[in-house]
Amino acid sequence: MNPTKIFLGAFLVNNILLMRFIALCSFFGVSTSINTSVGMSAAVIFVTLLAAWVSWVLYHALLAPLGLVFLRTAVFILVIAGLVQFVELFLKRYVRALYSAMGIYLPLITTNCAILAVTFLNIDYGYNLLQSTIYALGVAAGYALAIILFAAIRERLEDSPISQSFRGYPIAFVGASLISLAFLGFASLFGITL
Amino acid sequence: MSVPPRPSRLRYLTSGIVKENPVLILMIGLCPTLATSTTTSDALGMSAAVAFVLIGSNVVISLVRRFVQPEIRIPIFIIIISTFVTIIDYALQAYQPSLYRVLGVFVPLIVVNCIILGRAEAFAYGHGVFDSLLDGIGNSLGFALMVVVMGVIREFTASGSILGKALTPAFYRQAPMLFLLMPPGAFFLIGILKALVNRFGIGKG
Amino acid sequence: MDWSIVLKSALALGGCGIGIAILLLIASIKLAVKVDEREAAVRAALPGANCGACGFPGCDGYAAAVASGKAPPNACTVGGPAVAGEVGRIMGLESTAAEAPVAVLICRGGLAEAPRRFHYEGTYNCRQAALLLGGPKGCVYGCVGMGHCVGVCPVRAITMGADGLPDIDEAKCIGCGVCVRDCPKQVIRLLRRPKLVYLACASHDRGKAVKSVCQVGCIACGVCVKNCPAGALTLVDNLPVMDEAKCIDCGICVHKCPTGSFVDRAKGRPQAIIHKNCTGCTLCATKACRFKAIEGEPKQQHRVIAEKCIGCGECIKVCPVDAISMVGALGHAERLT
Repeated sequence: MNPTKIFLGAFLVNNILLMRFIALCSFFGVSTSINTSVGMSAAVIFVTLLAAWVSWVLYHALLAPLGLVFLRTAVFILVIAGLVQFVELFLKRYVRALYSAMGIYLPLITTNCAILAVTFLNIDYGYNLLQSTIYALGVAAGYALAIILFAAIRERLEDSPISQSFRGYPIAFVGASLISLAFLGFASLFGITL
Repeated sequence: MSVPPRPSRLRYLTSGIVKENPVLILMIGLCPTLATSTTTSDALGMSAAVAFVLIGSNVVISLVRRFVQPEIRIPIFIIIISTFVTIIDYALQAYQPSLYRVLGVFVPLIVVNCIILGRAEAFAYGHGVFDSLLDGIGNSLGFALMVVVMGVIREFTASGSILGKALTPAFYRQAPMLFLLMPPGAFFLIGILKALVNRFGIGKG
Repeated sequence: MDWSIVLKSALALGGCGIGIAILLLIASIKLAVKVDEREAAVRAALPGANCGACGFPGCDGYAAAVASGKAPPNACTVGGPAVAGEVGRIMGLESTAAEAPVAVLICRGGLAEAPRRFHYEGTYNCRQAALLLGGPKGCVYGCVGMGHCVGVCPVRAITMGADGLPDIDEAKCIGCGVCVRDCPKQVIRLLRRPKLVYLACASHDRGKAVKSVCQVGCIACGVCVKNCPAGALTLVDNLPVMDEAKCIDCGICVHKCPTGSFVDRAKGRPQAIIHKNCTGCTLCATKACRFKAIEGEPKQQHRVIAEKCIGCGECIKVCPVDAISMVGALGHAERLT
């Protein structure tokens, strides 16, 4: 499939957060301020790429040839957990600046549905390594776009007069619903289906 | 010497249904709730899958808790949970292929479902087997309640029927309200439900 | 039962697990970051408010800087002398506490003095309102008055006054600087606590442009510059800039300013009194006092008109027989003699 279509499909049309409902827990938890959202997005992009590569290689080199496809759930999640731990140690030692920017979000990412979803979908859609990379980038960029936009709105919501029952999560959900409605406008962009 | 009565163990079961409902009160496990509540039957199917994994993993983790070091407990939980998820994954593929096609990637995503990992960490690791079983059943029922309620509402407004049985006149079913069926509608609906919960003060705190 | 599958999956999964475990083990050894115990001890001694007043990113940042020798032990103004002493003890250094500055508002244009030019219907927050054409106030340089600083102050030292300007309680203010950083118009600044007189206007316009939007704004007339006995004021970009090293807090600028743009923080001002040994040389009345507060005939005992005297102390400097002294408030006597 056309790389641009893969990217746009993941980034806009089938936005992982707003259209596919994946990674919502972190979405509502982290998006209270733009700074934390940017930090979280950076961590997600970083780990998604690495996880996509490692899991793709492990699947095609180890699990599939040995007929152990059923182990992919366990293997992928273990890989992600180990990867996150390794990345945290690596950044803390060698790239201190990046660690202080996004280090605290790394443990949160282990249970981030989006990364596991990317590893599974790469297999299910039958992508090769290059296509998997583009897809992973598209999903992570889509996550970043959605969460940063949403954080900007939530920051303004904090100062607005909202009735008691709607304060906090309810108005955030309604806000997310409106952004999701806007993203629906991307449906059928360049012929990419929902 | 008077001993205060031990609180009933039944509360482990009941707290997970309404008072500490994982989806609406604790706000965890949102992804599958919104994604699989498009129709009532899908909602029921997902609840059953989550129940299987949650109850199973709660019991097993509670059984092995004494042998698991605190430092490596998260990977151990993940392995146990992924075992149950793999079982239900293949079981659904074999016995309910249509449901499996609808649920799609959300079946393997049960492994990182915040509810299951959360209950394992918060409850099963520190309580006995029977209590963990009750807790697992309670939270599964709580999740099922939320997801099925949303499924009923969404299916009813979008196709005028519940579980495939038509409940509205034909003119409605010809031009139904699709909003709640689509992703924006799901967000909107759960926002309204959470606002109602806040308004009537249901739940802890 | 196909045992080979069981064996293969056990080996594969076990292999992955062991592989990851070994990788992480090697990583945790080779990538270990040495933790300085002194840094941990310093961090434990800090108040943990993460306000940034020390100039470092949070208490963790300051602890790291102290442990690596890049920061003095007394930079924590919130912790005060107690924390400075403890940090100094941990690091084996001498330290005296730094005095916390106080936040002051450099705008006096409230609802009465600086009227709004349009009615604003939007999110009631200074930062949001300032985005819309610079805010609803006539003067775009001044305080928006919607209380953003009230909300961000970590010790609740700021309250909104009825005049539409925030009121900063000097006793509660810890000088952390969060309000300074957050104000969209940058009209809050940190002042050294001993400093008493400061300019309370941020308008870079002059003359009629200022007068038309604010009754108390600085019109850049330069009278303060001309009258400052210490030469501490210079007019830069239509605002008098005060050289705080030269300023003696005499208060002449406060009273000479036609629009009242200066603020004197002193709770009370001393007064000059002329003693019996006055020779009547009239130097004080004619050459020194700018406020016509001294009266007296030549060769006769002069006296100070109490209502007009502002306690600037210029007369003391010119009296040839030391006949004048200050009486009254708050340590001014030490400064001016």
